[in-house]
Amino acid sequence: MEFGIFLEDAAQALATGILVGGAYALMCVGLGIIFGSMRVINFAQGDFMMLGMYATYYLATSALVGVFGLYAGPAVAALLSGPILFAFGWLLHKTMISRVTGARVADMDGGGGYAQLILTLGIGLVLQNGGLILFGSTPIAVLTPLSRQSWEVGTVLLNQARVVAFVAAIGIAALVNLFLTYSRIGRGLRAAADNPVAATYMGVDVTKAHRIAFSLGVAVTAVAGGLLASSQSFQPYIGIDFVIVMYAGVVLGGLGSIMGAFWGGLTIGLVQQLSTLFLPYQLQNTTIFLVFLLIIFFWPQGMFGRVSERT
Amino acid sequence: MLRIRELSVHYGGLCALDKVSIDVEAGQFVAIVGPNGAGKTTLFKAISGTVGPSGGTIEYKGRDLLAVPPHQRPALGIAHVPEHRQVFPSMTVLENLQMGAYAPAAAAQWKRSLELIYELFPILAERGTQLAGTLSGGQQQMVAIGRGLANVPELLMLDEPSMGLAPAVVDMIFDRIQQIHKERELTILLVEQRAAEALESCDLGYVLETGRVAMVGDNQQLLNDKRLQQSYLGL
Ligand SMILES: Nc1ncnc2c1ncn2[C@@H]1O[C@H](COP(=O)(O)OP(=O)(O)OP(=O)(O)O)[C@@H](O)[C@H]1O
Ligand SMILES: [Mg+2]
Repeated sequence: MEFGIFLEDAAQALATGILVGGAYALMCVGLGIIFGSMRVINFAQGDFMMLGMYATYYLATSALVGVFGLYAGPAVAALLSGPILFAFGWLLHKTMISRVTGARVADMDGGGGYAQLILTLGIGLVLQNGGLILFGSTPIAVLTPLSRQSWEVGTVLLNQARVVAFVAAIGIAALVNLFLTYSRIGRGLRAAADNPVAATYMGVDVTKAHRIAFSLGVAVTAVAGGLLASSQSFQPYIGIDFVIVMYAGVVLGGLGSIMGAFWGGLTIGLVQQLSTLFLPYQLQNTTIFLVFLLIIFFWPQGMFGRVSERT
Repeated sequence: MLRIRELSVHYGGLCALDKVSIDVEAGQFVAIVGPNGAGKTTLFKAISGTVGPSGGTIEYKGRDLLAVPPHQRPALGIAHVPEHRQVFPSMTVLENLQMGAYAPAAAAQWKRSLELIYELFPILAERGTQLAGTLSGGQQQMVAIGRGLANVPELLMLDEPSMGLAPAVVDMIFDRIQQIHKERELTILLVEQRAAEALESCDLGYVLETGRVAMVGDNQQLLNDKRLQQSYLGL
């Protein structure tokens, strides 16, 4: 009897973990695009996600998105936060990030890493404090009737808001992957990531490629945040928790691999939910790191690290 | 086609090129030889725009090349096959070749280019889906040259295509370069440390030493030069 209840709990945690993991996977894909293309150390990614959540919140409550109704509205709002944050990322790269990345810093101390660290930490701080002023500190969530409805599969309850977020996240991740794999721009981005100098010899404008990659990465993570916002309350400081989740996911999947980032993120979501079976809620993030350390111990390249390269 | 005048490049305080003047006429095969550190790669980088010169001019088909941003130079018909091959390791052989056709004009001819590349290097046709980083050195060089050809260039610049390859492979690569030059009347600018092979194939040769042009001449002049024979040709 006891064991039966445990199995039911486990099945529930597994299902919730996979559903939550979808949004985590997408946000890791966003960070993975940026890190994979530019090797930039970016600690503001969690705060970009926070902006995506607020953008989704305000869009969802706006008259414009209101026409989509209570059910589709929040998902549409999350998608629309993408283009907005894409523009934001573009501007940020143009005015600041490009000064500490790319060819012009290759000769700097630590390949520009220190400057990137300070700059993105600074951007993160500005966004957090700016968010506090603009949005206030009260936790909010994107309200949708779906959050309170579930589908039942056997004993397992599937929260409808989470299912919608999961499906959207997988769809967007697949589209992004198709874009990077098969489009001309996608090939250019990957070439610029592999070897920026050789990419220039092919005719790739590497600075522009980086700008596209950065903006796309910001947008993808923002949409992931927006999708998560209907089942998770948030405040301007939420980025701090999530930047850690994102880095864990990206490193877990193998730095530089987009598919890896996806599976890494999904794994993190799963681990987080499964840990609630055994451990108090407060230890969720500790568990993530425990599993993270274990995986890195056994697979230093990450689960989906690149094939070893000849030089 | 290419007129370089008094080109100088400095890396910090170090002078890598000191007032170098070089001419390449359309349809010519021009070789540049010289010891390590002579500035050969630097010259190529200046032509492609990945290093900025401190003085001098580069004219390509009558236009000021230095005014063209580096990433727009391939579209003018300049293909640079760089030192150490520099294939894109995490992309497949086919994707690498296709990167050569990144400029829109070259992309329009991509299908035909690919056929010609596979004709030249049949092994690449079998390796289309293999990641370029896992190829052997010789195969990577074929990819690098194929990638250059996919740009449908008028001027093909090759930086030490023989580096680190077995003698038989080197012969094959040089054969192919000759073949490309003759059959397609492509203008070739070749940098090589293997002076003998390079000078034999060329119409015009330059000897670069510590950033200066030490000698210019057609292949007979250079191959018969006593000093050159001693220091470069091992005769
Ligand atoms: N990025 C750089 N920073 C500083 N010095 C450089 C740089 N690149 C090249 N040099 C220096 O410039 C000089 C010319 O180098 P370059 O690579 O052009 O020579 P090379 O003729 O191609 O030699 P090799 O035959 O060994 O390839 C060398 O003294 C080299 O040390
Ligand atoms: Mg060199």
